[in-house]
Amino acid sequence: MLPQPFTPAFLSQLEALRLRTRKEFLGSHPGSYSSPRRGTSLEFADYRRYSPGDDLRYLDWGIYARSDRLYVKLFREEVDLFAYVFVDASASMGFPARAEKFAPASHLALALAYVILANHDHVKLHLLQENGSASPFYRRRRRMTDCVDFFAAATPNGAVDLAASLSGHLQRLRRPGKAILISDFLMPAAAYQQGLNLLRAFNLDIAAIQVLSRQEVDPNFPAGSLALVDSETEKEIKYQWNDKARRDYQTRLAHHNLELKSFCHQSGIHYSLYVNDRDLSDFVFATLPAIGLFK
Amino acid sequence: MEFLNPNALFGLLALPLLLLPYLVRRKPRRVMFSSLLLLKESGEAASSRAWGRIHLPWIFFLQLLLLALLIGALSEPVFSIHPTNIAIILDNSATMQAVEAGKTRMSMAKAKARSVIDAVGVAGKIDLYVTTPRIVKLSAAPLSATQAVSAIEALEAYDLGDAPLDYNHILDQLAREHKYQRVYLFTDHPARRQTAAARTISVGQPQANFAVTGFDVRRASLANVISGRLEASVEVANFSNKDEKIRIVVKGGERALANRELLVPAGKTVVASFDNLADQAFYQAEIENRDALMLDNRRFAVLPAGRSLRILAVSPRPKEIASLKAIPGVDLDIVAPSAYGETDTSAYGLEIFHFATPAALPRNPTLFILPPQNNSLVDLAAPVTNITVSNWREPHTLTRYVNFSLFRPAYARPLKPESAGEVVIESPSGPLAFAVVRQGVRYLTLGFDPLPYLGRENLPMSIFTLNFLDWFSNAGMKSQATGEPLALGRIEPGDSIVSPNGETISLTVGYDFFGATFYQGIYARRRGGAKELSARNLQDLGESDLRAPAAIDLNAGTVQDGGTSVLFSFWPYLLTAAILLLVLEWFASPRMTKLAPRRRAATLSMLS
Repeated sequence: MLPQPFTPAFLSQLEALRLRTRKEFLGSHPGSYSSPRRGTSLEFADYRRYSPGDDLRYLDWGIYARSDRLYVKLFREEVDLFAYVFVDASASMGFPARAEKFAPASHLALALAYVILANHDHVKLHLLQENGSASPFYRRRRRMTDCVDFFAAATPNGAVDLAASLSGHLQRLRRPGKAILISDFLMPAAAYQQGLNLLRAFNLDIAAIQVLSRQEVDPNFPAGSLALVDSETEKEIKYQWNDKARRDYQTRLAHHNLELKSFCHQSGIHYSLYVNDRDLSDFVFATLPAIGLFK
Repeated sequence: MEFLNPNALFGLLALPLLLLPYLVRRKPRRVMFSSLLLLKESGEAASSRAWGRIHLPWIFFLQLLLLALLIGALSEPVFSIHPTNIAIILDNSATMQAVEAGKTRMSMAKAKARSVIDAVGVAGKIDLYVTTPRIVKLSAAPLSATQAVSAIEALEAYDLGDAPLDYNHILDQLAREHKYQRVYLFTDHPARRQTAAARTISVGQPQANFAVTGFDVRRASLANVISGRLEASVEVANFSNKDEKIRIVVKGGERALANRELLVPAGKTVVASFDNLADQAFYQAEIENRDALMLDNRRFAVLPAGRSLRILAVSPRPKEIASLKAIPGVDLDIVAPSAYGETDTSAYGLEIFHFATPAALPRNPTLFILPPQNNSLVDLAAPVTNITVSNWREPHTLTRYVNFSLFRPAYARPLKPESAGEVVIESPSGPLAFAVVRQGVRYLTLGFDPLPYLGRENLPMSIFTLNFLDWFSNAGMKSQATGEPLALGRIEPGDSIVSPNGETISLTVGYDFFGATFYQGIYARRRGGAKELSARNLQDLGESDLRAPAAIDLNAGTVQDGGTSVLFSFWPYLLTAAILLLVLEWFASPRMTKLAPRRRAATLSMLS
């Protein structure tokens, strides 16, 4: 059974979308994405001198009339897309509760997966956690329930080293394609940069979606002395919480997000921030097309 | 600057308590958060030390200021100039004789009064008052400072209890009527609040004290009046917080007759009885324990002049009343009602009006038996025959040993008392016996006729008759309180009274009472060559209990009509400031809470 946001109207709107890639990948079946190979699509690509054995249907008789030379027309090959959705399943994604952060993140991943499945492309779901699991490639809409089951079985826990976790998944990756990384990116800049660079090294077209809870954006701790505990490492620090501390935190979060955005921009990675109290359909149909994730 | 209610300043000691909620609030609360990445670097870490956790917001200082202003307003600060027209009221009740650190409270009060007079200066006008036996001004014209100091030095405390005065009203009234700029009351009662024009200046501290609170010497019973056996009872009280062994000595004159040691529990009284005392002119009971107030450590008593009870009977039925002569110790004279006015009653210990009433209340103890309607004590209801007794006072001398189930007067007229008194016997139709004490004299009115005295033939009525004779015969032996007047009776030229301190006061013909019985002891009335003794004692338990005297609370603001104010009271301004701060705090805190979401929204837009 599909989660609550996936109403028939929402699904039909998702079917109208298509992922946009900025790279050409080799597909396995004819599809709607450009391939570096020449093929039989209607989109002209180039000319080549005729050589014996070429199909005479592709001879360009106009050039022959003008230059008395034989050229054949070459067309682009259009193939299907292989997409990889990486969802951070560390303990921080379960804060303040699974339903408030990991669930919205998985709903976002499911929406993207549905867009891919609806376009007869391939999608593979990955959980980024220690010994993270991955689904097989899914194709066609009927596999949507498998995607839902995959996330329903997941429980965010433990700490995650983004680069190491991605590395484990990428070692088993055979076909380049579109990679969508969904995480809170609450980690040192070096850690997420290393992870994203790893994705770039695998010649993937990358999109990074940062998911934060409202509690993380605007913590409403009681004023006073607090013992704050890290959800992943369970480290504890004493902290004096007041308006100034909240403002400082928000400033640092803004700076952290800006740094992430800037890195993504420089690296050719689509980036967007999704706060959990925002309407999912609004984010999917307004924000994600705006950053160029959808055609 | 001075404070009208300085006790409120103790509230300042409670101000540090305001820190407690903030300290408690600062105790670290354990809160889980997704990642401490961005928190490690920002903000100041809370110290584990207690003082380091104190982070006081501005609202704390606002609250501190608010409380300080409130306490300041409650303490009623005033700016004052030195007054020049003042009244000094000196408490001269018995407790001012209490000794503390070698000084009496009276001397301490005098010292403080002198310092007040010194502050007034030579140009000051001072009126001097004392509080007992009633509040009275000691000089007609205002005194200069020197005169006032001399007058104060001459004052001594009386052996009298506190007069029941409403100081709040009296001080206010004095200030208004005499236009005093300030009225000072020097007393050993603690002061709570002061008013603008009245100041209570307290001396003395709570003390433990022991007292003889009752002393009674009497003949064993009316039947034994001839034998002359005397018995005494002494009641001692322990006004302290621990049990105390108290030795009681009963003296006849100055000679010790008997003594006993009693353990008196804290805060309790114990009665000791002494038998077979020798016949003496007067007696005193004394305790040997040393304490703050020596005055109440002894008490005086005297016996009636004669051994037998001399009765003057006024009755139209002399035959019935003559039956009283059958009782041993009764000396009876009978006169007709018309002859009463010509009779000298001063030698009688009891007057009985049998179906008769005098024009005015007699000065002797008197029994009224079925008086006519025109008496001043009671009205009479319709006659009832064979009346039953439904209620009676118990224990009481008049009702002891009487079997009231057999007590059936054949004829009775229930009484309708017209003055305050004690109903001793009651029937379903109304009171049958009504006792009144006026100026120390006992009066008993009966709605039935207990006469003739039939002895064993009517035992309940005979016992009642012996009871009331006993009750009347003991009346004169009870010691009376200081301040109660002495009944003088007929005064002959040359009659005098010798007071306990040896002063001889000549009596003037025309006076019925001698009222200046302000000192405890034996008053000797000289009548011709004879001498009658009478005892007066401090009889005020409130005076003897020095542990917690009642506080004087001048709670009403004194206003001087037409007088020049010597005060500038600015506590209303402090109170106004406190209220404004309260409003500010009330307004500011919720406003801050309301503004917070706006700030957060702005920050969020910056993040997005």
